Amino acid sequence: MSNPHEDKKEGKKDLPRWGMVIDLDRCVGCHTCEIACKIENDVPLGIWRSWVKEIEKGRYPNVVRAFRPTLCNHCEDPICCKVCPVKAAWQREDGIVMVDPHLCVGCRYCMSACPYEVRYIHPLKGMIDKCDFCHNRVDAGLQPSCVEACPNSARIFGNLKDPESEVSRLIATRPVARLKPEMGTDPRVYYIGFDPATLEIKREAELIWEK
Amino acid sequence: MGKVVFDVHYQTTLAFLISYYFYCTGLSAGSFMISTMSYGFGMTKYKPASKMGVVAAVLLLLLAPQFLLMQVGWPIKSVWNHFVYFNPVSAMSYGAFLLMLYPLNSIIYGIFMFKGNMKLTKIFGLIGIPMALAVHGYTGWILALAVARDYWNTGLMPIVFLFSAMVSGVSMMILLIMIRDRFFTKEKVINKDLVVSLAKILGWLLVVDLFLVFCDYSVLLYSKLEGKEVAHFMLFGKMSFFFVVVENLIGKIIPMIIVMIPRTRNSYFWLTVAALMNMVGILAMRIVTVYGGQALPLM
Ligand code: SF4
Ligand code: SF4
Repeated sequence: MSNPHEDKKEGKKDLPRWGMVIDLDRCVGCHTCEIACKIENDVPLGIWRSWVKEIEKGRYPNVVRAFRPTLCNHCEDPICCKVCPVKAAWQREDGIVMVDPHLCVGCRYCMSACPYEVRYIHPLKGMIDKCDFCHNRVDAGLQPSCVEACPNSARIFGNLKDPESEVSRLIATRPVARLKPEMGTDPRVYYIGFDPATLEIKREAELIWEK
Repeated sequence: MGKVVFDVHYQTTLAFLISYYFYCTGLSAGSFMISTMSYGFGMTKYKPASKMGVVAAVLLLLLAPQFLLMQVGWPIKSVWNHFVYFNPVSAMSYGAFLLMLYPLNSIIYGIFMFKGNMKLTKIFGLIGIPMALAVHGYTGWILALAVARDYWNTGLMPIVFLFSAMVSGVSMMILLIMIRDRFFTKEKVINKDLVVSLAKILGWLLVVDLFLVFCDYSVLLYSKLEGKEVAHFMLFGKMSFFFVVVENLIGKIIPMIIVMIPRTRNSYFWLTVAALMNMVGILAMRIVTVYGGQALPLM
């Protein structure tokens, strides 16, 4: 059968391309975005759609904490959509990567293919769930919940196609980094003041599956 | 460098059930290949193994998808959606078709074989070979196309999977033939010629398999951060007992030596030991690949 999402893509011209800039110079690691997301999207215990990874570097007195707010990157070339056998992972014309709960069968293939580990199995639904840029709010003209909740305006959300938007201005004028661009997924979440140490994979001693 | 204060851990994606699924399709593909050797390619020496091979292939392939269905969150929906919402760029999409067509073809092939219709047996046997390769090769592709994991994301993965499938299939056939001949025939004599030539095949398949593992790891150890890390994890870390000792030493190297030395190859006791060790080793290989490949966090 043809693309089940065809009808949802109606009227595609002049649509925005949503993206996010996270200014880590403003981030204080208060985890408010994390909580706002949990409340907004009713995310069950033990899983997160968006979270703030926090690391500590150096020795006293030269120490620092670095943060990395993490969420789905709403990639331009999302590997999750490519590998999904039933087209449940799909991308809207405005770039938001979605999961169709009517189609997802919970095979978890997308989970193992996403380089950012942002997808999880919803324990109650038995299918994939992840950040969707609060598409209900965005469609209603609001900001995503995490952006609105951030006390320091460290998260900035907007239209990447519009050169006048705040996100485009920041991307054009500030040094920005994206997570793992070498994965070829072309992520659309940009970081200002990014500390690559927050990306380093953990050594064996800290392996998750032993816990 | 830094010490992690807070991070969110992902859930294990593909778990043991998937390893068993890979193991069963592998055994099935391997035994199917043995069964086609006499009817498809006219190697009459292997004829006594044909019927047993096809029965084993069908039974295992009926068992294999059960593990898959236990793993997915929505088993019935998954069967339906796989056919209706076919995604041509996903390797997993093709699985549903292969898992239906291959057992069907094997059953038809088996029926003609039991009825003694040589011509049709040959035709369906030859159709079955690419299917058997595909039904197991695609599982290798599933892993290879998950670009996030360096351990899986290699072009060798489907080939490694094919060889380990044939290796374990041949081992299983050796065991089954010995059991059948010894306990379920009138003469109670094992067909030595057949078993020993299967053991020779097993030896050479193991040589290729070990070579592929060597290629894979030599490249991984020189590759990028995650690749290096995962290779160390397999060779010297928490997975080393399963990978080095169970999979490669017990599962491949010792059986290879046993079937390469004529003295032990001609001894039923040693052959049984070699085949059993190899079957355990390949099961360990499936678990190491599926579980170890995603054991390291990505970021
Ligand atoms: S970050 Fe992962 S889940 Fe999100 S679009 Fe990219 S590949 Fe898909
Ligand atoms: S878990 Fe759902 S969204 Fe992910 S690949 Fe499977 S069917 Fe697609």
